[in-house]
Amino acid sequence: MSAPPDVTLEAHLPSHPRFLAFVRALAGEGAALAGFTDEDRDRIELAVVEGFSNIIRHGYGGRTDQRIEIRMRVPQGTFRIELDDWATFVDPSRIASRPLDDVRPGGLGVHLMRSTMDVVDYLKNRHGGTTLVMEKRRPPADGAAR
Amino acid sequence: MNCTTEALPKGMLLAVEGQVDMHTSPELRGKLRETLERKSSPIVVDLTKVGFIDSSGLATLIEALQAVGKYGGRLRLFGLSPAVKNLFKLSNLISIFDIRDTREDAVR
Repeated sequence: MSAPPDVTLEAHLPSHPRFLAFVRALAGEGAALAGFTDEDRDRIELAVVEGFSNIIRHGYGGRTDQRIEIRMRVPQGTFRIELDDWATFVDPSRIASRPLDDVRPGGLGVHLMRSTMDVVDYLKNRHGGTTLVMEKRRPPADGAAR
Repeated sequence: MNCTTEALPKGMLLAVEGQVDMHTSPELRGKLRETLERKSSPIVVDLTKVGFIDSSGLATLIEALQAVGKYGGRLRLFGLSPAVKNLFKLSNLISIFDIRDTREDAVR
């Protein structure tokens, strides 16, 4: 069977946590289309859910009626997603996780995104908000075997 | 997400089902709070039917772990899927929680 075509998808969602299951399913399908293993698919789902949640929690301060735009591109071997918000852009150097040995609730989202994806960037977008860019590439040896 | 409680000869068991994330973790937090208010021990959390937990779910479990420690109780987890176990490893929490392989071992 031939490889599936490259897929590009755009979605506009309210900043409500009820959409996290949908966002996770979207990321998982994208990862599967790009040929990732189940283990990497789990990691991609986690990173995308953390990214979406962080926008609601930190970008919008918990407001659930704001807008989040998702752009997902999945050429074979790569998963790339961009999440746009319309909140205030925050200097990326100020975005950090808590130290892992300081065990307390919260503060792990950014760590989980950075430890599961190859690229995690925060860019100022044309709306004055932030575009969270995450990308993961399939290892070359994995791709060569297909 | 569904969360049901079961009284054990000693302690309480919470069986969680579904996705634990920012949307659903308040429900889990509420159920845990009920058992914590009774000062149950051990509190055993069955994650067999949980396919996904995010950092909000982890935060809820850390809160419970800290709360149970305040009255000298114990919190145990079992039934972690590979994805959930990997999350605990990534977060450096695998040695912080008391994670058991089986229900029998967890409720003992």
